[in-house]
Amino acid sequence: MRARRCTIDSSCVIALDHLDLVPKLSFLFSTVLVPKAVREELFKRRGAKDRVLGLFDTYAFFQRCDAYERGTVHFLLAEKARQGAEDRGEVEAVVQASQVGATVIVDDSWGRELALRDDLETHGTFWVLARFHELGLLSSPALRDSFASLRRYGIRLAWRLANGLLMRIGQKPL
Amino acid sequence: MKVFISYGTAADQVTALRLQALGAVNGLTIYVPPAHTRQAALLDPEAAQKLDEAEVVLGVVATGLAEACRLELNGGVSLHKHMIVMAHPAFVHSLQQPFGPNLVVIDPDNPALAESRIVQYLKTIDAQKSAKTALLALGTLALGLLMLAPSD
Repeated sequence: MRARRCTIDSSCVIALDHLDLVPKLSFLFSTVLVPKAVREELFKRRGAKDRVLGLFDTYAFFQRCDAYERGTVHFLLAEKARQGAEDRGEVEAVVQASQVGATVIVDDSWGRELALRDDLETHGTFWVLARFHELGLLSSPALRDSFASLRRYGIRLAWRLANGLLMRIGQKPL
Repeated sequence: MKVFISYGTAADQVTALRLQALGAVNGLTIYVPPAHTRQAALLDPEAAQKLDEAEVVLGVVATGLAEACRLELNGGVSLHKHMIVMAHPAFVHSLQQPFGPNLVVIDPDNPALAESRIVQYLKTIDAQKSAKTALLALGTLALGLLMLAPSD
């Protein structure tokens, strides 16, 4: 059996770090690869640089990942630029996942679409939290608190799905 | 109950973190030293304090034995902590002498042996029931996680 690996985009790191749930990711993945562009996006946020560097120092499974097909990244970025935006972190997460056979953890819909085009398994923060709940690592009230905290923090999630899950597990929707 | 998990190398930390998560939902407060401490030749001050505060120490040595881990486990012995060291057979030679009675070797061909070794060891120690329960639970979980751990 091979160890499960994932690449991760910045919004998911921000959300899971905000909830102090990064160490629990070790339950889902033996290695979490953080692309260079994702690190650069995180470092631009006020106060985030030290926290992110701290994650690398504290958790061995949370690793920097710098090797990727630059040509493929540039090609995909050009496609995105034509649509009026540039999200290098998502692109690197997908390209690196494709190279190493990893799952992609990304919230952005274009990033998910890109991953699916490459036949990669892809999930977002919502799935990670739902898995923690399924595994018994987050109780139902704790899951609700987590969603509520992310909403207060300004994280964009599929709230309709989150509320659907909360109702199924006997919690009040947000 | 406070538990300290010492792990052999950075690669073993993932097992320690999984044990920490499982322990937390069962009411245990488990400290896992940060990964950077595995590169140090001295005992990390925060880890030393957590070791002192812990009632139970669990060692997980599956991929190697960093000096930091050796120091933590020696510290556990010196502080007379209730302690089990779960080790891959490759590290028995270096662990047998200092941790003999506390050592549980994980034989991949016969994991049941490790389980019975934990039970035997717990019969010999004079500890509160809660400490014995924590050691039995964490030792069994560690055994399962190490046996089922996927490899790269």
